Amino acid sequence: MKILLIEDDREAATYLIQALDEAGHVAHHAADGETGFAMASGMDYDVLIIDRMLPRRDGISIIESLRAEDNQTPVLILSALGEVEDRVTGLRSGGDDYLAKPYAFSELLARIEVLSRRASPAEASTIYQVGDLSLNRLSRAVIRGEEKISLQPREYRLLEFLMKYSGQVVTRTMLLENVWDYHFDPQTNVIDVHMSRLRAKIDRGQKTQLLQTIRGAGYMIRA
Amino acid sequence: MFVLFSVVLLGYVAFQSSIEIQRVQARDVSWEIRQLRNLERQRGPRALAVAVQRLSNQPGRGIYYLGNPAGEMIAGNFRSIPSDILLEPGQYSFSYSPQLAFEGLIQNTPQDRENSLRDQRKAQAVVRSILLPSGFRLVVGRDIVQRRDFTRIIVRTMALGVGGIILFSAIAGMLTARRVLARIDTINATSKKIMSGNLSERVPVTKRDDEFDQLANGLNDMLDRIEKLMQGLKEVTDNIAHDLKTPLTRLRNRAEAALREGRTGEDHKQALETTIAESDQLISTFNALLLIARVEAGGHADALSKVDVSKAVLDVCDLYGPVVEDAGGQIEMDIESGIFLQSNRELLSQALVNLLENSIKYALGTSDKTSTTGISNSENKSIKDGGEKILVSVRQTPEEIRISVCDFGPGIPALERKRVLERFVRLEKSRTETGSGLGLALVSAVAKLHKGNFEILQNSAANQSNQEKGSGVCAIISLPKNF
Repeated sequence: MKILLIEDDREAATYLIQALDEAGHVAHHAADGETGFAMASGMDYDVLIIDRMLPRRDGISIIESLRAEDNQTPVLILSALGEVEDRVTGLRSGGDDYLAKPYAFSELLARIEVLSRRASPAEASTIYQVGDLSLNRLSRAVIRGEEKISLQPREYRLLEFLMKYSGQVVTRTMLLENVWDYHFDPQTNVIDVHMSRLRAKIDRGQKTQLLQTIRGAGYMIRA
Repeated sequence: MFVLFSVVLLGYVAFQSSIEIQRVQARDVSWEIRQLRNLERQRGPRALAVAVQRLSNQPGRGIYYLGNPAGEMIAGNFRSIPSDILLEPGQYSFSYSPQLAFEGLIQNTPQDRENSLRDQRKAQAVVRSILLPSGFRLVVGRDIVQRRDFTRIIVRTMALGVGGIILFSAIAGMLTARRVLARIDTINATSKKIMSGNLSERVPVTKRDDEFDQLANGLNDMLDRIEKLMQGLKEVTDNIAHDLKTPLTRLRNRAEAALREGRTGEDHKQALETTIAESDQLISTFNALLLIARVEAGGHADALSKVDVSKAVLDVCDLYGPVVEDAGGQIEMDIESGIFLQSNRELLSQALVNLLENSIKYALGTSDKTSTTGISNSENKSIKDGGEKILVSVRQTPEEIRISVCDFGPGIPALERKRVLERFVRLEKSRTETGSGLGLALVSAVAKLHKGNFEILQNSAANQSNQEKGSGVCAIISLPKNF
């Protein structure tokens, strides 16, 4: 995946570029808003990671200009401002996801991988299939092998989200944001409790365990 | 502006007066002609001539001329009537030289002479000429100069008036300005004092309750708010200093220790993992502090929107239901549906989450959420039959909305209960406790943001239902519907 990072903090940028590199991505770096905008509009990236506060041109304005040029490259906004309103402003300007600093690298990685996937049209299909587990988005039927699985509405949404991004790591925060629409981190690990219930319904008694816990990152559903 | 208006008004008055005078003059002339004609008809031309002569000799600007059919002047005071006027009866207006016209015919008073000299340049007469039945020609008229005199008087008065008005306005303006400036000066002086650091200074308010007092009151209210915010800021800074320095020190110590006595790579890895975990804790404490500070400063007050409180509470219960069940309890909901409030769903939810987490931690006696490997809830229930429950209720009265979270745990003794609340509201004494100790502080701040109230009471239902532990607490958030 080709990634452009627009971030003025040299040290943070160096670390991120290196980490992205290790994760198997090609990452370029721009240290200020103008350079970043020029690079973003001149080259074809899969994902842009844009810091909100940048010298010479701020992140929001870069995104707005890109969108005005009909550049639809997915954008992850990084910001030290974590408030809900800031998030709303960021997303309204055309950003696709928002991550407040400081963040865990695993969180960032999971999010950009999901973002790059979001840009592909494959996800719009009606039926999600992972191994012998299928989820029909119209009838809301979930079937493992031959057996129909009945899920609570919330469990269904949880599974739907996981299957939408099957094969990719989904973090707890992402689940909390997308399934429950909360943007705070609870002290207790509520997501784990919900996941264990979902796992009990899907994987109990099965030979292959589809729902996997990725240590230090989150969850993944994979055949 | 005012002066301009006065000038226009006076000008209008002068113009109207001048028209009025003209009308009066015309009427007088008609009247005199009528009288003279009657006289001639009743008493003959001789009497007419005498009357005309008498009129002519009166002071003023009357113009009289009486001529016989042969065209000779027999009476009057105006010698040089243009001949076409005499021939053709009607209304005329002509200019003449008063010196010539009146010469030797009227007894000039010194005043008149002076006037005549001034008017020598040109004079304007308005006359009516008629042909009497007897063949005599009568001309009666008025000099416009009289009118001009009047106009001059008006103009002079007007000039005086305008001058007076300007003078008066200037004085009044100066007095007002002086008063205004004096009061602005006091405000200025106060603001200087405040800028030099004395935040408790206030703008003096008089008893007049005028615009300045309203301004002063507004400024004072603003200053009150600023002072409160500053206090809040100071408190937060102090808290941050304490709250973050302690764990930072711990973090540093641990890193140092790892460096010093680190033996194997595994040890280092362990130390680094602890470091990350601890910095995560630090970040979350920091976030909580910032959030509380922002909420208390009213940072969200303008970002409130209509929130379905019932649904928001249901959602949180939905999120925490499984957690409570895993902890061996159960959430019992008593939620009136369709309750709306100007609020912030995120903050409201977080407040509720904090309350629920407290109940889970203290009332259900376990905070071990790592047991995620799936104790099935049916098993769980059969073991703890009628297990401990947490009662979440949302109720509304016409005035307010009450959200309560009640548990049936060990509860808090009455004295302690107050202290707990105080302790958390004032962040300070909770520092030594484990956990960030900021959960209830946030709840309190959220309640305050809604101009509401947050309190912790003994769970009265717990006493009645004779549970084995027999107590428990109710955390109640009351939010007024209109604030």
